[in-house]
Amino acid sequence: MPGVAATAGPTVLHVALNADILSTNPGVLRDENTDAVLLHVAEGLVAPRHDGSIAPMLARNWTVSADGRSYTFALRRGVTFHNGASMTSADVVWSLQRYLSPATHWRCLAEFTDRGIGRILDIAAPDSYTVKVTLDRPAPLFLSTLARPDCGQTAILQRASVGPDGRWRSPIGTGPFELAVWKHNQYIDLVRFPAYQAAAGLPDGDAGAKRALVDEVRFEIIPDGSAAVAALLRGSLDILDGIDPAELSLIRRDPRLRIEMSPTLDYYGVLFQTRDPLLKEPCLRRAIAATIDRAGLTKAITWNTAAADDSAVPVTSPYHGPVEALLSGPNLPQARRLLAACPYRGQAITLIANHRYPMMFDAAVLVQAMAAQAGVHLDIDTMDWASQLSHYLDGSYQAMVFAFSSKLDPALNFAQLIGSKSSDPRKVWDTPEAHALLAAAMANSDPAVRQLDFDRLTAALLRDVPAIVLFNSTRIAAARPNVKGFSEWPAGEPRYWNVALLH
Amino acid sequence: MRRRGRWLVRRPRDLIGLSLVVLLVLTVLLGFLWTPHDPIAIDLAHPLQSPSPGHWLGTDQFGRDVLSRAMIGARISAGVAFETVVAAVVCGTVLGLLTGYLRGWTDRLIMMACDAALAFPPILLALALVAILGPSRDSVMLALSIAYVPVVTRVVRGSVLSIREAEYIQASILCGDSTPYTLWRHVLPNAVAPIVVLATSLFGWVVLYESALSFLGVGVPPPAPTWGNMLADSRPYMETASWLSIVPGLCIVATLLGVNLLGDALRDWLDPRER
Amino acid sequence: MLKYLAKRLLLTVPTLLLVAVIVFLLVRLVPGDPAQVMLGESADPATIAAMHHEMGLDRPLPVQFATWLSHVAVGNFGASIRTGEPVSSLIFSHFKVTATVVLVAMALATLIAICGGLIAAWRQHSALDLAILGAASLVMAVPSFWLGLILLLVLALKLGWFPVVGYVSFSEAGLQALWYLVLPIATLTITECGVLTRMMRASALEVLRLDYVTHARAKGLPERAVLARHVFPNAFAPTLTLVGLSLGHLLGGIAVIETVFTLPGLGRLLVDSILSRDYPVVQGCLLFTAVAYVVVNLIVDLCYPLFDPRVAAQ
Repeated sequence: MPGVAATAGPTVLHVALNADILSTNPGVLRDENTDAVLLHVAEGLVAPRHDGSIAPMLARNWTVSADGRSYTFALRRGVTFHNGASMTSADVVWSLQRYLSPATHWRCLAEFTDRGIGRILDIAAPDSYTVKVTLDRPAPLFLSTLARPDCGQTAILQRASVGPDGRWRSPIGTGPFELAVWKHNQYIDLVRFPAYQAAAGLPDGDAGAKRALVDEVRFEIIPDGSAAVAALLRGSLDILDGIDPAELSLIRRDPRLRIEMSPTLDYYGVLFQTRDPLLKEPCLRRAIAATIDRAGLTKAITWNTAAADDSAVPVTSPYHGPVEALLSGPNLPQARRLLAACPYRGQAITLIANHRYPMMFDAAVLVQAMAAQAGVHLDIDTMDWASQLSHYLDGSYQAMVFAFSSKLDPALNFAQLIGSKSSDPRKVWDTPEAHALLAAAMANSDPAVRQLDFDRLTAALLRDVPAIVLFNSTRIAAARPNVKGFSEWPAGEPRYWNVALLH
Repeated sequence: MRRRGRWLVRRPRDLIGLSLVVLLVLTVLLGFLWTPHDPIAIDLAHPLQSPSPGHWLGTDQFGRDVLSRAMIGARISAGVAFETVVAAVVCGTVLGLLTGYLRGWTDRLIMMACDAALAFPPILLALALVAILGPSRDSVMLALSIAYVPVVTRVVRGSVLSIREAEYIQASILCGDSTPYTLWRHVLPNAVAPIVVLATSLFGWVVLYESALSFLGVGVPPPAPTWGNMLADSRPYMETASWLSIVPGLCIVATLLGVNLLGDALRDWLDPRER
Repeated sequence: MLKYLAKRLLLTVPTLLLVAVIVFLLVRLVPGDPAQVMLGESADPATIAAMHHEMGLDRPLPVQFATWLSHVAVGNFGASIRTGEPVSSLIFSHFKVTATVVLVAMALATLIAICGGLIAAWRQHSALDLAILGAASLVMAVPSFWLGLILLLVLALKLGWFPVVGYVSFSEAGLQALWYLVLPIATLTITECGVLTRMMRASALEVLRLDYVTHARAKGLPERAVLARHVFPNAFAPTLTLVGLSLGHLLGGIAVIETVFTLPGLGRLLVDSILSRDYPVVQGCLLFTAVAYVVVNLIVDLCYPLFDPRVAAQ
């Protein structure tokens, strides 16, 4: 890249993580931070574009059979792993088979069983640069699932990543950076991989040409948000990603810092336990929903950075059509009418929230205050995230503020809510209508038909109110003036390739 | 019992301490009757307003009146601290007297339990208890009491160990006084000074500890304002809306200063040898 | 003396056993478990069950406890559920950081307390006494994280004297590591010295009234010698108890200060592992801090006779 002068020492990009990574094993022992780091090190066959569509990465292209069950990937040639070995179809087959082995504990294994999007029947390598994957049924979401960051983008790894005993050693991938040092709870160093072969095309999302423009990326582990902001202001960090909107006013005081924002595909909301003796009444849930001023709440919590939303289809999704865009406003008279007709006599309802995610806590405080205006008594029960998660997973709560992470397809957002409460207690929405609508949205591939499915799901969500969707958050980062080429994007994980440091 | 015509307030120090504590009590009492605004009413149109005639100490990130919240916070913070200290001091003094005076197996058993309790970092106790019992004022208080009873016990035992070697105690034993009588009549009065100093310090620690718990996210649950959770919530606005952090911070500092100074005055006042 | 030591050490065994049982039960009574935290919001019940089995969490509690205890007995604290790191090495690396901060800060705070407390008691009711007592009362009244944040904002951010984040260990950076520790040590010293000073002053006042001090003065001993030779040794015991208690607790972690200053210390390790329900790490850390606490207090008790001749008679 012209304009980036080579200087005496190595250029080091200092960035931050709010917690240590769990492992170096992509898609296995992971959380969001782990994904963010390892996406620089390892790559999959395909990767998501900015708009959520799927682009080739280690695959040059692919074809889908007429019955929608077989995917044939043509691999790029000349790609080498960090240990110098060149990548062939044998590595792809080995990697995929490793993921499909229960002993690996791949996070996304369940997606490729009968319960998921489709069972993988066969992985074949007709020649050194072709891989054919056959499923037991048509699976329109196959590529999106492979590209999921929490699946580690189904990274293709070299065999030596795993020891002879089958134990994980370290990721030998094809990414623009290699893992150099992991100093637990202090920092992680990635160094430029000199022999990296960039894919064709302009950078787009996680796809396109990726280039390491710095010699080293150091992820400093800074658990405290305010401390991280202080580090950025002080110049100890070059880029700070995932900033709490409340910290923005401080960052704006330094006009040289460049603020980057992008709406994400996640959503925040209130979940109800529809089997609770009180909340099983739709009138009570509807009344609570009618008290919520989503626009005001969103503005206050996100400091005017995010968009209010009452549908599980994110605002930036291509499926956020006119039906989804209608925002139901607060209607206190209606809320009171609904309550009057409801067997609710002011009993206290417990609303679970946590302090780990400040926006969830703030949302709980505001929802409590708004519901009180119509006479609904909510008690906030703040707990640590692990406790809340446990209540979420076994359905033992009345109401809770929750957030679902970004999904590449709105059908997956609805799938978070819809399911059988008997077999999967975390599901909040269990009506035959919802099941049917979701099944249709999963199986259809025509965008116009899918749009209608999502419109119907949105209308049903607002009528049944198993959950109140509040907003989609915005990812905020700030960079020092000498950083060039960094941007945020809807999927959320920060990308430090194609980022340069000027002097 | 031994006022002997001496006044509690004899020096400017005592006066400052007493006034700060009286101010705290008055604030708490006033909070029952009146606050300028509803402390939990949100006003999303006016967040982070700096102090003005409408809101004397400004508003927080949700437009809530900071003065009203600080007034109600006084009641909750001081209430939690007061009840915790009373519980810890009463239990700790009884245990400390017994263990320091009786020695032997009583001593060993009580000290073993104390050591086991003290060996837990208080933060863990609070995290665990709050998670098990559910977050509430009571679980915070229980966690704090468990953390501090052994502290009182140890300090009381330490001074009893010194006192019991004194001649007048030996004399009392030789005269055939019963153990409870000796403890009550001779040992306790002489152990009171360290207990009072410790109790006032404890009050401070509890208020501080409550704020640290809020900082780590396991304090008294909202919407009830406490100085601790006001201070913790003001974190992102420390520089841009400094009053949010200064108000509860100064409330804590002023209260603890008052209690500590009053504690010193009390110590002098209770001291049988002070002239 | 050796017999006494052996007896004391033997007595700590039941205490530690009690601690182990409480720790184990407490950690498991807390709702939530590591599998759920690691798999997050989109984990289905079957995957969680499989992970439980993998972690051995589906076995009966007494069996889990016995297994853990038998491993601990031979010095094996197990490995972190989250990252697979050995718990003992995790504890060791984090403890080094915490111990450095705590020991230096407590040494400084004790030194300040001894000087301040003696001087204040010696000149009771003077302006100096008032100033010392006022300052001690004031620093006791400041929440440590507030003080830390203010120091961080002013000294590190505004004035740029100290680094904000990026702690490096002594083994990596030598004395440069100290630079990262100045602010946390200062914060801890300031918050700890108040109570120690007050305790020192209170007990020095008691001693100053005793006859032998009057005797010493009457003999014409200079005031400095009276304070150093007669008052300090006899007044130090209660302060020492308090130092021991504080030290025992602080070594278990200064989670708040470690969070503000981004130090990889034991307190943060403990809080993080509680929040992620990393049972082996929580259990290991707590057992370790319990041992540290017991050892520190044993040392303090052994020091008692040095400062209080009346106890030495035992």
